[in-house]
Order: sequence, then C-alpha cells, then structure tokens
Amino acid sequence: MTSLTETTGPLTDPLPALTTRGLGFRWEPSQPMLRFPDLDIPRGEHLFLQGASGSGKSTLLSLLSGMQIPHSGTVSILDTELQRLASSARDRFRADHIGVIFQQFNLVPYLSALANVTLPCRLSPRRRQNTRSDPEKDATELLKLLAIPEDHWQRKVTRLSIGQQQRIAAARALIGAPGIILADEPTSALDTDNRDRFLDLLLGLANERGSSVVFVSHDRGLSSHFHHQIHLGGAS
Amino acid sequence: MNPRLAFSLALASLWHRRRVLTLVCLTLTLSVSLLLGIQYLRTEVRQSFTSTISGTDLIVGARSGQLNLLLYTVFHIGDATNNIRWSTFEKLREDPRIDWLIPISLGDSYRGYRVVATDRNFLEHFRYGQEQPVTLADGEWFSDVFHVVLGAGVARELQHQTGEEVTLSHGGGRTSFSNHEDTPFRITGILEATGTPVDQAVYISLEGMEAMHVGWESGVAIPGRTLTPEKARGMTFAPEAITAAYVGLRNPILTFRLQRALNQSAEEPLSAILPGVALSELWRLMGQFEKALLGITGFVVITSLVGLVAVLLTLQTQRAHEIAVLRATGASTGLVASLHVIECLALALVSCLMAMVVGAALLAGIAPWLLDTYGISLTLRPLNRTEWALLATVPAAAALVGLVPAFGTWRRTRTQGLGEITGQ
Repeated sequence: MTSLTETTGPLTDPLPALTTRGLGFRWEPSQPMLRFPDLDIPRGEHLFLQGASGSGKSTLLSLLSGMQIPHSGTVSILDTELQRLASSARDRFRADHIGVIFQQFNLVPYLSALANVTLPCRLSPRRRQNTRSDPEKDATELLKLLAIPEDHWQRKVTRLSIGQQQRIAAARALIGAPGIILADEPTSALDTDNRDRFLDLLLGLANERGSSVVFVSHDRGLSSHFHHQIHLGGAS
Repeated sequence: MNPRLAFSLALASLWHRRRVLTLVCLTLTLSVSLLLGIQYLRTEVRQSFTSTISGTDLIVGARSGQLNLLLYTVFHIGDATNNIRWSTFEKLREDPRIDWLIPISLGDSYRGYRVVATDRNFLEHFRYGQEQPVTLADGEWFSDVFHVVLGAGVARELQHQTGEEVTLSHGGGRTSFSNHEDTPFRITGILEATGTPVDQAVYISLEGMEAMHVGWESGVAIPGRTLTPEKARGMTFAPEAITAAYVGLRNPILTFRLQRALNQSAEEPLSAILPGVALSELWRLMGQFEKALLGITGFVVITSLVGLVAVLLTLQTQRAHEIAVLRATGASTGLVASLHVIECLALALVSCLMAMVVGAALLAGIAPWLLDTYGISLTLRPLNRTEWALLATVPAAAALVGLVPAFGTWRRTRTQGLGEITGQ
C-alpha cells in the first residue's frame, strides 16, 4: 500500500474539488450568522477542519453536502454550484459525488455490512458505474482492505465493534470513487491505535480513488496527514 | 426515487423490527379475520337462510301477514292466528292448477320441539336448498296413527333411536304439564340432517294429531274420554282443520293468479304467500343486525390500524439514525418517507394473507362441529367479489395511515442538517 503523508502526490488534477466563497449560515433568524473562511481544495487533496464544538464544523459539512443552503455565499463541489440545484437534484448530486462518514451510528441497522457498503451504488447509477458495474466485488475488496473479516460481511452490523462499524462506513464512503468524502469526527469513538490505522486506510484508499477527504476533528494531532488545514473559531 | 431500493429497504426494515411488528401484525390479522369471517358468514348464512324452503310455490294459511305465516310454518316460530277448514283444503286438492299439497297442522310439541302433523306428500314434495328432497337417515316414514318421524336435530339432541316410544305434549313450550300420556308414539324413522328448521321438529300423521286430541276438546284431557292406541286402531279420523298448506303448481306462471284468487277467497279468509318473497323480506329485517355487526368489525379494524400508526410513530424515534444515514448517502426525502407507507402496506398485506389462512383453517375446523351440533352447514369456497373488495380496503387504509408517519418524516428531513438526528 502507498505510504500516507501529506507529501504524497495525489493524482494532480487542475480542477477544484471544493470551492466556497463568503459562506454564511444561521439555523434560526435570531441567532448570529456563522461565517466560514473561503476554501479551495484541488481534486484529490485533503482538508483537515479543526475547531471547538459550536464553531460550526457540522454546519459547514451540512452546507458542503447540500443538506443545507447557505444564507450568503456559494458552495461549489466539482464545479457545480449546489444552491443552483433543486433539493431533489442536490440529493442526487450527494449520492453521485459525496461519501459521508459520521462519528458513530453510521450504518443502516437492518442491512448487512456488505449491503451497507453497496448502498451508494443502489442510490446512484454513477457510483455503480465507477465500480465497473460490480458493486459487490468492489465492496468485498474494500472490506478486505479495511480488514473486516469475511465472516462479518453478511452479519448484522449492530453486532460489530465500533472500529469495524467505522471502517465499514469508510468503505461505504469510498465505494464508487465519489469526488469528495465528508468525514465528521469519524475517529472520536476510536482508541489511538484504531484511530491512526483508520486514518491511514481512509486516506490511502481515497488517494487510490482520487477522492478528496474533508476531515473534521477536534484532534489537532491528526492535521499533519492533510494537505490543507483550517481552524474554525467560535461563532462570529 | 428508486422503488426497488425503497421496497428492499422497507422489507429489510420490517424484518429487522419483526419482534415488535409481529404483535401489531397479529392484532391486525385477528381483526381482519373477524371482518372477513363475518362477511363470509353473512353470505353463507344468507345462502342457507334463503334456501330453507324451495320448490314450494305458495304457502296458504289463515289470513295474516306474510312474515307471520312464514315464521310459524317454515321456521316454527310463533303461533298460527287461525286454522283453515279441512273442506277448504279438500277444495284446493281438486283445483286443476295445483300439482301437489302438503298439509301442515301445528299446535303440539315434544320436549320443546314442534310437532308437525302432515302426510306422505311432505316426504315426496318438500324441497330445500338446491331442490333437495327430505330423506330418511334411518327407518321409514310413518304409516300408522301413532308413528312419529324425528328431525335429525331432535334425534341427535335427545339421543333417540327408531323403535323407542315417546309421549308428545299438548301445546308448545319446553316443559308442558299436559302430556298426551295415553297415546304414546313409536319412532319409525329419523330424517337426514338438512341444516334447516326441518331438523328441529317431529312429524306425525294428521290422523295421529286427531287421535291424540280425542277427549281434549276442552283443552285438557278428560279422564275416560281419551283414546288408547288399541281403541284408535279401528277408527278413522278426519281432521276438521289444518294450520297451513304448502302448494306446488303444475305451471308456476299461474302462481300470482292463484295467490290473488286465494287472498280474495269468499269462503274463508286466507293468505297465500310466495316463500321466496317472504324470506327476502325477513332477511331484510335481520340484515340490519348483521350490517351493524359488520360495522362494528370495521371499527375493530380501524382500531388495529390506529394501533399500527402508534407503533410506527414510536419506532420513528428509533429510526432517526438510519434516516440520517440514508439522507447523507443521498436518499431523497421522498424515498425515506415512502418507507413508512410501504411498511404499512406490507404489514397489511401479510395480515390479510394470514387472515385468509386463519379463516380457512378455522372454517375447516369448525364446519363439521357446526353441522353436528347446530345443523348449520358451512362450506369452504373461494372469496366472492364483495369479500375481495372488503379485504382490499385493509391495505388501502393501511397505506393511508402510513402517510401519517411518512409526512412527519418528510417534513423533518427536508430541513435536516448532515448527520442531524431528527424526530426525537
């Protein structure tokens, strides 16, 4: 496997993966506007987003994923301006181009590990095509690479350990090579060994697939793995 | 939205929550079984009810309402208002339009069962159901004054065999204090079960009826004036009156003309009724009750569906995580909301299927017992159109109530942030 440092040259691509300009958002009209620094991430490069709780990390991810529309400014993912899309088109765009990993409860409890991984390919024909129309094969490869034992693949995901669940979530985010992977504190429920291993695997596989990772964490120690780092302050 | 994905997710989700949902499904199954069962029985009972008597063109009795006449002649409920003279009956016998006549004379009872005095024509011409004749299961039709033939229900209930002697009672009622003790009757035959009121009566000859009432002119037995079987043997008895007569015509087209003629008879006030018309009027009366019953059952189904929604709304909070995951992965609000509707629909379909199985099993199980105990014959048959339509309303209603949680989910997920847990 390729070594993973910030100096590893990803597939250089002149196109930006992610561009934001003058983003501002508030959940309630009475609240002060959250303002975010402008981002410019070229394709295949990774961003580390660090900030205290309440600094708007999750809000920024909601804006980047198209689940929320900013009150001011623009978000462009892979040269598509998200607020120009209707909400159903944003859902389709998210299925096509964005992989997501949460802190925990990442999986659909009634689907097997394998079915959880192939879920994006069932929602998006594009992600399915990217697996050369064989999501199962791609999923099993990813699960193997992420060291999920084969007898766990058909098992109920609720019976797997947190570390395994997070790695299955990573496989789901990676499958079908989306342009961008949003990871919201995916390692905060893991111990240090598991955390480093998880990060290595995630970034290594993202590099192989040319996906950009936006990684949110309060753990500054991880920032050296990324091409770009941003620190979010409190509400301003 | 991707219907195939929605279906497979909904089914996987149902299977995942099968423990809780089994109970809901069971409740729904029971209520649907009840609904379907009552509708089925309604049809069956109606069928069996309207086939209580067939092949008889007219029933003639003393002047009264058609329901009253039908009730006391066919169903042995209530009493005759009056008798018709024997001479009138004899005149009918000579009427060329009439093919056959079955005389019926009522008034006495045997341990609560009606005593019907008639003649051999009853065996030959009476028909029920699909023109089925009455046949003897054991022994033979009465041929002597003091012979009696029992209906299948009477023989079964009282455990009588042919050859036994029984004492008939004067008047109706289960416990009569004046019995025709001097004139015991011997059981010569037992009728085959028909599933009609025929089973619930005993049959003697018109002569027998007359013979046991000799000496009873004042209403009670006057000692010394009643007959003994020995004395009666040598005598002939001509009845003065009978209660009613079943009439079969040579040409049924003349039914209405004869009915009008009889109703306007100048010699004696008579009523002639068409059994089919009277039966359907009676059914209309009873129909109110069974409609109410069906209505109540409908409410039971609605109650189960409300229970289903309550359970689904409770489950909704548990599902917040999975909905967040599905939304983040790119599932539309519509797909997430449709899961509820599909799940409701699937549960209802499973319940309907199980209700049909339960209903069929139950029917197959109790049908022999019902026939044995109550003489009601139920057959297992494919559902008719009305029953299918009734059954189809259940999944339709379930899909409708599924819209309640579906709308809630749709509304919340529209404004949900990435990974945000809603619905708690």
